[in-house]
Amino acid sequence: MLKKIFLPTIFAVLAYGFWISPDFKEIAAGVAIFLFGMVSLEEGFKAFSGGLLEKLLKRSTDKLYKSIGFGIITTTFMQSSSLVSVLTISFLGAGLIGLAQGIGIIFGANIGTTTGAWLVAGLGLKVKISAYAMPMLVFGVILIFQKAKSLRGIGYILAGLGFLFLGIHYMKEGFEAFKSTIDLSAFAVEGFKGLFIFTGIGIFATVVMQSSHATLVLIITALAAGQITYENALALAIGANVGTTITAILGSLSSNIDGKRLAAAHLIFNVVTGLIAIIFIQQLMYAVDNISLMVGIANDDYTLKLAIFHTIFNFIGVLVMIPFIGKIVSFLENKFGQEESKEELHDSVKYLNDSVLELPATALAAIKRETEHLYDNAFEIIAHGLNIKRSNILSSRDLDHVITDLYSQKAIDMDQFYQYKIKGIYGEILDFSTHAQSKMPPEYIDELYKIKLSNRDIVEAIKDTKHLQKNLIKYTISSNEHIKAQYDGIKKGLAELLRTIHTVRNMERYDEIVTLITKIKIHTEQYDIIANGTLDEMIRNNLITNEMASSLMNDSAYAYNISTKLIEMAEILFIKGDDVTKSLNEELFINDEELEVLLKEVKDEK
Amino acid sequence: MSIKKFISDVKEFLELDTLKKSSKKKSIKALLRNLESRKETISKKLEKKPSKSLKEELSIIQLQIAKGEKLLEKLNQESKTKKEKK
Repeated sequence: MLKKIFLPTIFAVLAYGFWISPDFKEIAAGVAIFLFGMVSLEEGFKAFSGGLLEKLLKRSTDKLYKSIGFGIITTTFMQSSSLVSVLTISFLGAGLIGLAQGIGIIFGANIGTTTGAWLVAGLGLKVKISAYAMPMLVFGVILIFQKAKSLRGIGYILAGLGFLFLGIHYMKEGFEAFKSTIDLSAFAVEGFKGLFIFTGIGIFATVVMQSSHATLVLIITALAAGQITYENALALAIGANVGTTITAILGSLSSNIDGKRLAAAHLIFNVVTGLIAIIFIQQLMYAVDNISLMVGIANDDYTLKLAIFHTIFNFIGVLVMIPFIGKIVSFLENKFGQEESKEELHDSVKYLNDSVLELPATALAAIKRETEHLYDNAFEIIAHGLNIKRSNILSSRDLDHVITDLYSQKAIDMDQFYQYKIKGIYGEILDFSTHAQSKMPPEYIDELYKIKLSNRDIVEAIKDTKHLQKNLIKYTISSNEHIKAQYDGIKKGLAELLRTIHTVRNMERYDEIVTLITKIKIHTEQYDIIANGTLDEMIRNNLITNEMASSLMNDSAYAYNISTKLIEMAEILFIKGDDVTKSLNEELFINDEELEVLLKEVKDEK
Repeated sequence: MSIKKFISDVKEFLELDTLKKSSKKKSIKALLRNLESRKETISKKLEKKPSKSLKEELSIIQLQIAKGEKLLEKLNQESKTKKEKK
């Protein structure tokens, strides 16, 4: 309801403002151009985020000081803490970083955003920046029409900066003229009450514009034009800091539970920092005066003093909150954790949400992680379908014992498991991939295609296990020791396969992974009971009935299919190593011909 | 000068293709070192106690080494030919 009336109300207020005041029109146009510049800047940075993103994130956020530094640097470059927080939510949504790292980045972004006040206060109001805006816009727009992605990216950044500067110029002009018609200081009230009123105005302005930067520019220009007092400006800046969390909150609405936790952390941080700043406003003002004196800023240069204030209170906020990061994380995990535990039986997607669609790299990473999630469920279903306990497969227990320690006395309902834990997720992955694909550059499509194949492999392996299940349970308790031995062999082989894939998944070294995968490929060939003569021999010697023979033949084929599908999946999902080695996969992996030779060698040794 | 030509000239000037090849060689050399050390360890273990599983692993590693060496030789040959052309 609120959403429905929000936009028309804003339009009505703006229209009324334009009608009564041409100066207000100029200021609003300045804000609009400024915001458009930010959108353009965002597009530009997106063009430069590619495959390196995941690696870069991992390396630059593995320690708290690094994630704070990462937040500072990226926000300083992008000049938008909102953009950084939205991107952080998408990284978190894709599982590229953890909540603690995300909070670190948000803390850093709060410090990084203070550079904006310095830029505007130090440069924006003294230099005629609209003179720089025009060439930037012209060069930027020409570059936007280029085919090369990097040139387009530079174009968007240049045009974005051009629009930002132009927006500031219009706001400045508007306020100069506005000065004579309205006096904002008329709203000023003494003491804390006044502080809270202006903080509220700051929050409101930032929520409407969804940019604390735009609010800060407005504050600085209004301050320079003498529209508001220095104290009012400080309160407005505090409000802007709190209001800026709205972008992250809106971004988190389409994100997963971790995204929501991060947005909540952002809100907690900014509200606490704001309260500290309001309570200690006199002490902070005193500190600002002293610092200004030390660095040679004139006593009446309130715009630069505002920049100092903005920087100090954000720094203090970070310093105060750092010791509580662990507590914030556990608080948020408890607070936002219930919704997931309710649905133990009916599993749903963990990583796919609209926030990760922001970047092709995060979308791809999320799809990959979701496929791994699908495999986790498949692992459970296949193990239980074979009547084996998962914990036994993951242990180092001898496989002969693993296959005799049964999961259940009766066969599990694999259809029900499939409906609850696979079908929905599989469907979501395919649907999400189609959406993501339409926004992906060609270099990602190939990788996405492979991941989609691995999803299909997982689902087919489950279906084959279902076909195998009935006879496996029947013959592993058969009184005919020959057929029992064959089915025990199938069960043991598949348990070994699941264990090996689990080992491969946790391995780091490329050469060891290749060896293990080759090894399970060799073992898979044991299911070819026609080629290795097992079936013929059993029939010839009347060891099994015709019915048993046909079942064994079909079920060996199912076991073979399960193995090949899961090996294919492991090759796509779980191979690690540096990018260069991975690019040589085809040349370094053992091909079918070489596998034949190896098989012969192994057989000869037997 | 078209942008494509400009980029290819810059790439040539900075010898980026050679860099890519040398990093490929570096990766393969590191891989071969790992494989050789594993081969040695397994051989020593086999000397002490024969094992079917270890023998199998040794055969795979030997094949991996052979493939890696072949690939390294191919890359060396390519670099050599390129240098001779210059």
